[in-house]
Amino acid sequence: MALLEVKNLCTEFKTDQGRVQAVRNVSFELGEKEVLGIVGESGSGKSQTMYSIIGLLAENGQISNGEVIFDGKNISRNQFSTKKEYEEMMSKIRGNSMAMIFQDPMTFLNPVLKIETQLVEPLLNHTNMSKEEARERALELMRLVGIPSPEKRITQYPFEFSGGMRQRIVIAIALACNPKLIIADEPTTALDVTIQAQVLELIEKLRTEADSSIIMITHDLGVVAKLCDRIAIMYGGKIVEIGTDKEIFYDPKHPYTHGLLSCIANPENDDEEELTPIPGSPPDLLNPPVGCPFVDRCTKAMKVCKLYPPEVTTYSDTHQCACWLCQKEALNK
Amino acid sequence: MSEKPILSVKNIKTHFDVTKGLFAPKQIVKAVDDVSFDVYPNETFGLVGESGCGKSTLGRTIVKLYDPVDGSIEFNGVDISKIKGAELKEFSKDMQMIFQDPYASLNPRMTVGEIIKEPMIIHGIYNTDEEREARVVELLKIVGLKPDHIRRYPAEFSGGQRQRIGIARALAVNPKFIVCDEPISALDVSIQAQVINLLKNIQKEMGLSYLFIAHDLSMVKHISDKIGVMYLGHMMECGPSNDVYHRPLHPYTVALLSAIPIPDPNIAKAKSRIVLEGEIPSPINPPEGCVFCTRCSKATERCFKEKPQPIQVGNRIVSCFLYER
Repeated sequence: MALLEVKNLCTEFKTDQGRVQAVRNVSFELGEKEVLGIVGESGSGKSQTMYSIIGLLAENGQISNGEVIFDGKNISRNQFSTKKEYEEMMSKIRGNSMAMIFQDPMTFLNPVLKIETQLVEPLLNHTNMSKEEARERALELMRLVGIPSPEKRITQYPFEFSGGMRQRIVIAIALACNPKLIIADEPTTALDVTIQAQVLELIEKLRTEADSSIIMITHDLGVVAKLCDRIAIMYGGKIVEIGTDKEIFYDPKHPYTHGLLSCIANPENDDEEELTPIPGSPPDLLNPPVGCPFVDRCTKAMKVCKLYPPEVTTYSDTHQCACWLCQKEALNK
Repeated sequence: MSEKPILSVKNIKTHFDVTKGLFAPKQIVKAVDDVSFDVYPNETFGLVGESGCGKSTLGRTIVKLYDPVDGSIEFNGVDISKIKGAELKEFSKDMQMIFQDPYASLNPRMTVGEIIKEPMIIHGIYNTDEEREARVVELLKIVGLKPDHIRRYPAEFSGGQRQRIGIARALAVNPKFIVCDEPISALDVSIQAQVINLLKNIQKEMGLSYLFIAHDLSMVKHISDKIGVMYLGHMMECGPSNDVYHRPLHPYTVALLSAIPIPDPNIAKAKSRIVLEGEIPSPINPPEGCVFCTRCSKATERCFKEKPQPIQVGNRIVSCFLYER
């Protein structure tokens, strides 16, 4: 059984200019101990999808449709009559069986609280541990994420840590209650390459040691290639293609996936082939295109792409793609 | 190469005084310390390194936004490290800069036309406004914008388009050399390739030289002929980009390259990384010997005491005792 099931999720934001449809009909599943990468450009809705799942949408945001089933339990907002009930239920899950790692560790950590207080907090909230036990567990976590001399460091404040070390603390907090699902929102974007390598190494280690599933949100295809079992490509608030790492990298179907892969430089390639950029810029989600979100930038766009949202073509149990062209090719076979 | 370098940087040092308070002990950040390299005409020199390694400071020193405390910068055979006033103005016509943040580097109250025209007015390149306007339209076409964008304001453009405006402004005075300081880091992947291709085409057509500063090693390798790797204000290794990438010599380059995530699952999952321990030391108080000694797996006692001097190894220059004969 899948650990997480997202069905037809739609999320909107009320703004002065109108409703921004950030997430439009997103569905996917995540198995146990699986690492799913969600790739997309800024504004593609990848972060908002995750915030909708974990219930951290901004004030003006709301889930307008869809279901989220986590660990066999429906945790969609519309299952609860009042916001208070929903929040009560979510606060039991959040930080406990579902945890999140944020992009910028400095805005996540409270600057005026000691590391100890912040590490112990989820343990005291979600488990029956005593203060001493929680402190022991906190030290153990700090060792696990590779912070040297944890006994000394635990009494320090976030500003005394460097960027990479702060991200380790954030990861330690996320791991505190052995979560079943960790959502990592661009965990290495703010870090330098050598520090990024350290953090990726750590996430990889956790994957084998802790029994968690991970959803990794990123725009760096190198990071997904390294870590993920499956990859979902998002564009204009929709998942346009989803498949295993090999299916996405070696057998991409959607023109956007093709475009994305051919506009990044692969340093292993020496022959000076030109990068093929995708012309134009992403759609405005205030008035999203009725048809395929990629239609304005697609070199293979047809008439139907403008008029109707593309249907999903299934290539294998794991590989699906929403594109009219794929649908047409599949029908012709 | 028998050609003369267009830019020749020798033992340049840029230091900042960060002493706090009147009687506090003097504290100096050695942002760039003893760096030398050459850039030849029509060539792109890529400068890579982690944040705080001094790559941007070096770029800004070369366009004379900062004054170096020591060393020389020869541009077209003339030492520009100490020039001032009219000479500096004349020099800046040949050397322009493209900035990282396209949101901060364009004045929001000026139209695109005014922004691109400004350097022409300052340098008195055209006599009449009609000529300037015609040139702006031409430049807009070169960078892939429409002529009717001329009356619009920067706020109406996306990040990638703004970066194009920045490029048009840099080209306005027909420079010979452009310092690109992380011109693509603020852009989305699909837009990055657009800007990179634009820069490459312009270089081909106008015969420009670039100093391309970035932390994204894959892009730097793609665009550069030569790469210089910086760490804590020092140039660790410098040479032709393919050679540096495939046969890195300096232990830091080796580690830095192994840390790049390769966008190919088979290679990426099989690749073993050399994970560097710890972080970059503070530039106020750098290690006494080799600046990399605190994180280097091959460091010997000597590395902690003596500073390695740059030595020529084949077609490369490396600052490491390992390659001393």
